[in-house]
Amino acid sequence: MKKTMKTLILAAMAVSLLTGCSGTSGSGQTEGSKAPETVSANTPEADGTSAQADESQASSDNTADVADDKSYTIGIGQFASHGSLDNCREGFLQGLAEEGIVEGQNLTVLYENSQADGGIASQIVTNFASQKVDLICGIATPMAQSAYGIGRKQNIPVIYTAVTDPVAAELANEDGTPVGEITGTSDKLPVTQQLQMIRTMLPDAKVIGIMFTTSEVNSLSAIEEYKAAAGDYGFEIVDIGISTTADVPLAADSLLEKVDCVTNLTDNTVVASLPVILDKAAKKNIPVFGSEIEQVKIGCLAAMGLDYIDLGKQTGRMAAAVLKGEKKASEMSFEIIEEAAFYGNTKVAENLGITIPEDLTSSAKELFTEISQ
Amino acid sequence: MTLILGILEEGFIYAVMALGVYITYKILDFPDLSVDSTFPLGAAFTASAILAGVHPALTLFLSFLAGALAGCVTGFIHVKLKVRDLLSGIIVMTGLYSLNLRIAGGRANVPIFTQETIFENRFLTDHIPETVSPYTVVIILFIIAMICKILLDLYLNTRSGYLLRAVGDNESLVTSLAKDKGMVKIVGLAIANGFAALAGSIYCQHKGFFEISVGTGTIVIGLASVIIGIQLLTPENGTSLFSRLFKKELRPTTAVIAGSIIYKACISIAISMGMEANDLKLITSILFLIILVVSTERRKKVKAHA
Repeated sequence: MKKTMKTLILAAMAVSLLTGCSGTSGSGQTEGSKAPETVSANTPEADGTSAQADESQASSDNTADVADDKSYTIGIGQFASHGSLDNCREGFLQGLAEEGIVEGQNLTVLYENSQADGGIASQIVTNFASQKVDLICGIATPMAQSAYGIGRKQNIPVIYTAVTDPVAAELANEDGTPVGEITGTSDKLPVTQQLQMIRTMLPDAKVIGIMFTTSEVNSLSAIEEYKAAAGDYGFEIVDIGISTTADVPLAADSLLEKVDCVTNLTDNTVVASLPVILDKAAKKNIPVFGSEIEQVKIGCLAAMGLDYIDLGKQTGRMAAAVLKGEKKASEMSFEIIEEAAFYGNTKVAENLGITIPEDLTSSAKELFTEISQ
Repeated sequence: MTLILGILEEGFIYAVMALGVYITYKILDFPDLSVDSTFPLGAAFTASAILAGVHPALTLFLSFLAGALAGCVTGFIHVKLKVRDLLSGIIVMTGLYSLNLRIAGGRANVPIFTQETIFENRFLTDHIPETVSPYTVVIILFIIAMICKILLDLYLNTRSGYLLRAVGDNESLVTSLAKDKGMVKIVGLAIANGFAALAGSIYCQHKGFFEISVGTGTIVIGLASVIIGIQLLTPENGTSLFSRLFKKELRPTTAVIAGSIIYKACISIAISMGMEANDLKLITSILFLIILVVSTERRKKVKAHA
């Protein structure tokens, strides 16, 4: 008897733990989490609650919408949290809204973030599939691949964004056409425009240093491209590979010995430790260029970067076409943003004793006057 | 329905790995961290092998062998070089990370969407009728998990299997039987890591790509499955929940597979309730602790009665 009590208390504790952590959304869910067998009965409920967790308060009046206008449910899976990917998601929803699919009105958004865990990523997508979403949006390569892996079995179209090389990821064929019901946008770096910009700002520089993580596929292809294009602008590329965050300080010291300036890729590990590199470079008075707006904000001199909000918007419009049934995902090739925008940081330029040329500042999308931490 | 199928699919894949962890953690009493790297080893090997034209079913066996080899290395480091158990696992885990990247051709992400796998090939599309097709993946995974379980059960009843169990319970007994206990440990580790790599191979073919990050936390999933399964469903500590409900006992291997499914179901429910991935690990560890504390208390009581 005592033992039965104990087991019951244990179960109750586990349930309250699970519900407690999911905030207000879980209060009606207690029965659902007791045993896996009851899941099927509760799936519609689970659907509603997780939508609420995504701040869309509209799930309750969803039924009203269905009657007159068609309403959609989509799942957005994001691989990790960082500025660029968050901007992608924001832009994606804006892009959908431009096409008349507005979150809270005729759109229910289920949003999950896998925090860079591949196992969780695929489980998130499985959950989307079980909630019968109309479309899955995968942000960043591993999430896009997970989404396609599940989506193609369940016949759910997938839209991806922030995938640097869809061809290498086997999400698109060599000619850019999709491999199945999957398409989206690529955040390929505008390498030649970046080199051109560095040349304009530093007419005498010869050697550009790049730090990258050997296990990040996107970085490898970007480095190849830099090496191929550097000669045209009179640069030489020195690269240094790292395997973990712990390698960054030593690698930075060794890299800074050999170069006139440093440029960054969208390498996740390196970007996460960017402050270390910036600090060391500032002491040696070596300029560091970024690859997107967030990096310039925290102290890179300048960047020819993509606007991830724009990228997201473009993706959102593609998703709208698929949702409305105007086009199938398999009929659209993946898209890239051709025009990169200039971002500069005048405070950093002042510290380095460099003036940003007039024609760059005049065309700048955004100029920062201080270094934010 | 899709949710349940998803839970079963994930559960069966990780169950194969959990069977391995059951051998090391429960039978050998060896905290083997190398699973964290042998799981992606199986995945990396499978992706490369399939791209090189090896038959998908064959990669399952080859992955098992590759994992077993890695397990032998862990065992060798521990037994022959006299490095502590935890450390030898860590050494192999760290080294294999680089090796896995090498095996995958220096890439951290190898897609095999366009290739034939055990879940998606011409034989299946030709022979499986439309109505069954949503369930084929689960059925295949169920069959694989069952084969692994039955083979392991059979093995544990052989002479070598008895020795394996003896090493975990009472090392000196094995020595007194004039058997080398180190050798037995190495065999156990080889089988355990073979299962982990096999699970990695299945995972890779199921998802359609290899990604270096899939190995992170494998050991936690394995331990969770084993602990949940064993503590809740087997008679090890007196009467179990299962036996009280059904008046029947489960084999520990069956319990481990059930534990894996229960664990994946918990995670799945947590996600669909809108919990953030950030919090999942904390929840897992707290659940762990609760189950462990409650079960050790039960064990003490059983001893006191004896």
